[in-house]
Order: sequence, then C-alpha cells, then structure tokens
Amino acid sequence: MTKTTDPITYQRRRLLVATLGVTALSTFGYLRYGSRQTESISTAGASTSRTDDADARHSQVAVTTKHAATHYNNAYEFGWNKTDPARHAASFHLRPWTVTFDGLVERPGTFDVDQLMGLPFSQLEERIYDFRCVEAWSMVIPYNGRPLAEILKSVQPLSSARYVAFTSVYRPEEMPGQASPFSTLEWPYVEALTIEEAMHPLTFATFGVYGDPELPQNGMPFRITVPWKYGFKSAKFITRISFTADRPPATWHQETPAEYGWYSNVYPDISHPRWSQASERRILGEGQIERIPTRPYNGYGEAVAHLYPGDPQQYW
Amino acid sequence: MSRLLLHFGCALPGCCLAAGYLQGKLGVDPEKTIIWETGIWAFNLLILVVLLPRAARWARWPMLVQYRRAVGLWAFTYVTGHLLAFITFLLGWDIFRLGEELLKRSYILVGFIAWITLMPLAITSTKRWVQRLGPGWKRLHQGVYIAVVLAAVHYLMTVRSDYAWAGSYAMVVILILALRFAMWRQTRGPAPLSAATRKPATTD
Repeated sequence: MTKTTDPITYQRRRLLVATLGVTALSTFGYLRYGSRQTESISTAGASTSRTDDADARHSQVAVTTKHAATHYNNAYEFGWNKTDPARHAASFHLRPWTVTFDGLVERPGTFDVDQLMGLPFSQLEERIYDFRCVEAWSMVIPYNGRPLAEILKSVQPLSSARYVAFTSVYRPEEMPGQASPFSTLEWPYVEALTIEEAMHPLTFATFGVYGDPELPQNGMPFRITVPWKYGFKSAKFITRISFTADRPPATWHQETPAEYGWYSNVYPDISHPRWSQASERRILGEGQIERIPTRPYNGYGEAVAHLYPGDPQQYW
Repeated sequence: MSRLLLHFGCALPGCCLAAGYLQGKLGVDPEKTIIWETGIWAFNLLILVVLLPRAARWARWPMLVQYRRAVGLWAFTYVTGHLLAFITFLLGWDIFRLGEELLKRSYILVGFIAWITLMPLAITSTKRWVQRLGPGWKRLHQGVYIAVVLAAVHYLMTVRSDYAWAGSYAMVVILILALRFAMWRQTRGPAPLSAATRKPATTD
C-alpha cells in the first residue's frame, strides 16, 4: 500500500474522481438520455394530434403518427442522428425558396416554390405512401403535393434528356451536418432519376406532410417522393432540377457504391452488405413497431415494374 | 460503501433503459435506442476496465484495482444485453438468421467474437478460478484488450457517414493501447538506465 499522506496523491485522486464524475454525468445526463427525455415530453404534447382532422381521416389505414414521422428522420444535412433534423429544423429558413430548371430543356428558368405548387397549399393532393428506408425500417406517411411530371412538362424537356438530376440546398450555417468535418458525404446532396422514373405518375413533387408545409426535417419546402425506391432516392430541399443525357451522380451511390445502388429500387432479395432487406420494421409511432416482409418495389410493382425490363439485378 | 456506489452507477444505464422502455420514453424507435445504448455502455465500461489499473497507478490508489472485476462483469452484462437486444429486435429470435448474419456481415461477426472473447473472462472471474489458473489467469485476462479493440472496430464498421463518435472511441482505444505498450516496455525493458529515465514520465 502506498502512503496516502502525500498531497500530490490526494490531488490526483480528487482529480480522478472529478473527471470520472463529470464524464459520467455529461454523457449520461445530457448527451444521452437528456435529449431523449425532452423528446418524450414533446411526444406527450404531440399525442393530442391523434384526435385532429387529418389523423381521423387516416384512421382506416395504419398511418405513422406525425410525431414519429417528424422526429425520426434521415437528413444528414442536419446531422447523422435521427433526432438531429427535428432539433435543427426551427432555425432553417423555408422562404424565400427558388428552384432552377436547366440543362436539356426548352424553357429553363428559376421559379418560386409557391409557383411550383400551382395551387394554394391547402388544395394540393394528399397521397398516403409507404416510405421504405434503406436501413430496413418503414413508415406510412401522408404527403401533400402534385405529380412531378406536371411540373417537369411545364418546362418542356428536350427529347435528348434521358435523366433528371436533383440538387439539394447548401447552407452549412443552418445545417450543421454540412459543416461537420467528420462527415464523409459531399455537399450539396445530389440525386437523380431516369426521365421515365421522374415522369411516372407515382413520383410526387412534395410540399408538405400531414398537411403541414413547415417541416424542414422532412425535406420541405420542396422534395420529391419516389415510393418504390429506398428513401434516400427521394431528394429533399431541392433547389435545382437539371435534365441531362448522361447518368448524373447520386450522393450515397458515389460515397459507397457497393452499398447503395444507383437505381436503389426496393428488392427484398437483394440485401444491403450490412443487413438483410427481406423484411422491415414498420414504425407506427408511440413505440409501436411491427416486423413485416418487404415487398418488391415496396409494393408498387404493378405500377412500375415495366420500367425495369430484364434482370432486376441490373436495377438494384 | 464505494462498492455499492459502483454497482449502482453501473446498473443505472440499464435500469434507465428498462424504465424508459416500459414508459415509452426511448424516442420514436425504442428498439434501436436499446441496441445502441447497450452497445455504447458496454464499450464505456470496457474502456473503464482497462483504464482502472492505469488510473490506480497514476493516483497511487491501489484500492481501485479491486473494482476491475465488478466493472468487467458489468461490461460483460451490457455486451450480452446488446447481443440479446440485437437478436430480439432485429432478428426476432430467428437463430438460423443469426448464423446467416454472422457469416454475411463482418461487423456482426466482429461484435460476436468480442462477446465470445469476454465469456471465459467472466466465467473465470471468481477467486477460485484465480487460484486454480495461477499465472495463466493474468495472461487470459489480457483478452480484455482484444475485446476493446474488437469493440472499436465493430463500432467503426457500423458507421454510415459520420465518423465523429466512432472515431473518438477508436482514438481512446489507441491511446489506451499505447499506454499499455509503454508500460509493458517499461517492465520488460532490458536497460535499467532507460527504465529510470522513463519512470518520471509515467508517474507524472
């Protein structure tokens, strides 16, 4: 045993205990459960929304609660954690917002997002889509918008345009994930579809979810929703739409081509290298999660399978 | 008294998770929260286990070394909980799929090997086993360093894009290994002169 009369020893022990205490308290109290507790308080507040009109309309289908769909998001612009987008959404500016159309198009130009809606927000069409994330979870979400084809046709793409590229917003001062030195993704986020996919009636220009246009965590003010593909194909915060002859790059595909295909259609039998895609955990909110089998093209095969003739392996 | 406090501290994250799960306070995806938190706390405690002897020496507080066993067993408990949460929530107790996942996904295999590495350590943690194994016991329990390295690799392999947290944990593990290596060289270093010059650096 060492003698404990030495003042340096006491000093070090005190320092050790203090370090351990502070580390434990900070990781435990603040970084981890602290944030979850604030989240759970807002759960309690948001659970009243179950009784409002929109949710009453959806009561026939098992729609994910608005709270779940707006507090569990992948928007790496805001951070990798699924609670980051909701946390940083309040300081994101939704207006002014313009979208530039360029490339192989008859009428290039820049339009205000309110112009793109065509109608007042409240009169837009509502569609309930199954949303399947590449991470093997899914939600059922009511989207507000109009078919993307209507917008694309209005700028008259040239016949030489074979692809449509989407560029997301770049605002590192409002989106901490874009400013993070640890992120391996390149910003701004880019995604792309073939012109047939972009023109498909299921591809939805989305201006809100749950009748709410003010949800940056869900990609507002303007995103697309492509329900038969993994979620990351549905670009968020779109500021530019370009028509091209060559296949445009896509952020996740570029970052890890072995894990994220360019098409990224939902195929249950083609697994992600790190997990199976055969089934999904359907998140309905308030802790309710069901494990269900994943369907080819996320259940939209009847409408879209004809876009992919031949072996599906080439469209993963 | 301090032992009681230690057990309380180590049990707290698990108790909070259980209580949070029952009360629906683990966010939108409680299953993922449980898998994530049990994993991170297993890692935290593993780091604490390997840091304890270093800390005891630095603060001249040999009593701390006694707590290694308790913290180590708690770490094993969290690793086991992490594995069980994975099997329950992601595989739905489909043991055939566990075999398939182990073969196909290397990060799951790495985590599984870490658990397997820790198992004999947990089993031989009693006084009887210490006596029975003699000097071999100490060598066997160096396996905790293998486990902590595997944990760092396992964590890094799960990252999709942001390496901040997983990278920080890996850095801590590298630092611990460097410390361990320095100590190993000191105890085995042949030249007494160099050992004497190094001594103030390590006790500082």
